[in-house]
Amino acid sequence: MIGSIFILAGCQDTTDEVSVRSEGVGFASERKYSVSDTEVKTLLENPINALKREGIVPEKISIPAIGVEAETLHLGTKENGEMDVPDTIDDVSWFEPGYKPGENGRAVIAGHVDGIKGPAIFWDLAKLEAGDEIIVKGEGNDLVFRVYAMESVELELADVHSVFGYRSSPELILITCSGDYDYNRGTREERLIVYTELVEE
Amino acid sequence: MVSLKKIFVSMSVAFALVFSLFAAGVMADSHTAKLRVVHASPDAPAVDVYVNGDLTLEEVPFKADSGYLDVPAGTHNVEVFAAGTEYAEGEGVLQADLTVEAGKAYTVAAANTLDSLEFVVAEDSMEVSEGKAKIRVGHLSPDAPAVEVGIIGGDALFSGAEFPGITDYAEVDAGTYDLEIRLPDGTQVLPLEGTELAAGTVYSVFAVNTVDSLEVLALIDYEMAASPDGMPTTGLGTPEQNQTNWLLMIGAMAAVLAGGGVVLKKRFQN
Repeated sequence: MIGSIFILAGCQDTTDEVSVRSEGVGFASERKYSVSDTEVKTLLENPINALKREGIVPEKISIPAIGVEAETLHLGTKENGEMDVPDTIDDVSWFEPGYKPGENGRAVIAGHVDGIKGPAIFWDLAKLEAGDEIIVKGEGNDLVFRVYAMESVELELADVHSVFGYRSSPELILITCSGDYDYNRGTREERLIVYTELVEE
Repeated sequence: MVSLKKIFVSMSVAFALVFSLFAAGVMADSHTAKLRVVHASPDAPAVDVYVNGDLTLEEVPFKADSGYLDVPAGTHNVEVFAAGTEYAEGEGVLQADLTVEAGKAYTVAAANTLDSLEFVVAEDSMEVSEGKAKIRVGHLSPDAPAVEVGIIGGDALFSGAEFPGITDYAEVDAGTYDLEIRLPDGTQVLPLEGTELAAGTVYSVFAVNTVDSLEVLALIDYEMAASPDGMPTTGLGTPEQNQTNWLLMIGAMAAVLAGGGVVLKKRFQN
């Protein structure tokens, strides 16, 4: 009994694992963009009609580098305007009113870093490195995205409309919580944002 | 006189290396603008583009566009060199100080022939009404006369487009249109039949190349989708709960070790 009280007291200084894992993370790598180059050769196609890219409705994602395999729920916004998240720690959610994976623009998938009892699906997200692959499955297709950048951003600095915004090429953004726990707000101070781009066949 | 031209289109892909302008700083912050570079000079070679002295786009060929790049708001020194040329400040074939505002998007086209190369800059729209499409045209063919763009056998959507210029946007109902580029007297220059203008989409259609090989370079400026107002709350735990769990784990391990110790002791005693 005395022993266990001693252990409790000793653990008051225990570091916050989530915070430690996201401390100092972040990188951005050089990217090779495909530059569209319209050649005039056949009579058949209208160049304006060739511009649109169809995305897929995601059903599952897998991230082999960190052993993630998850069902992808389709959620929108909560009453307070925030992106909604799963009630479960094993699933991830795609922001359904936004861009689809494979469309031009940033499709966003979020997952919890931890649950009440310990690690959740995106516990290891901060370990991703440039070039790691994310496979999105849906509608009988597999789309492969490749990590090009990561940052842990304070909530005040994160421009939500940019993170969920339009791009000239298909991107997939992964989000989880990071940084120190803010007891006043009941959430962590930062968000880990992983930027990935579609790997063209 | 411009003769009737047929549209011949196929897509090929060239690669240009794009270097990030954000070596440091927050990518997701709100102090950035979007900038897109278009090579629209018919006789110029592929080019390298330097922003503030840093190589940013490499080997951009004629008729290629960079897609939107994020750049910090402010004024940037943009210089264009023939691909592979060694950089020397102020020695480029084209230079401009471009001022961009946060939250806005821009197209910067390198236009005209190589000996009179010039930038044509336009602000791009990133909004469109529900169920509508937006379109504008750019006249970037150095030797082509003024043209209009309109419905075949019908009204003009844009008239009096002259080199070098990019028109304002027209917002139209989404749908399929039989468009054409024509001279003010009605002579067709380029047919654009069956043009599908999708809801929630903003288009730029640039006429490029010389008048005897006039072509269309079509780009999408924006596609509408919703955004939430706040980032997700993606942690259900608190540090205490994690610590409690570590405690439980440590406790359990201690118990196992203690138990194991007892067993070992017993074994040794036996």
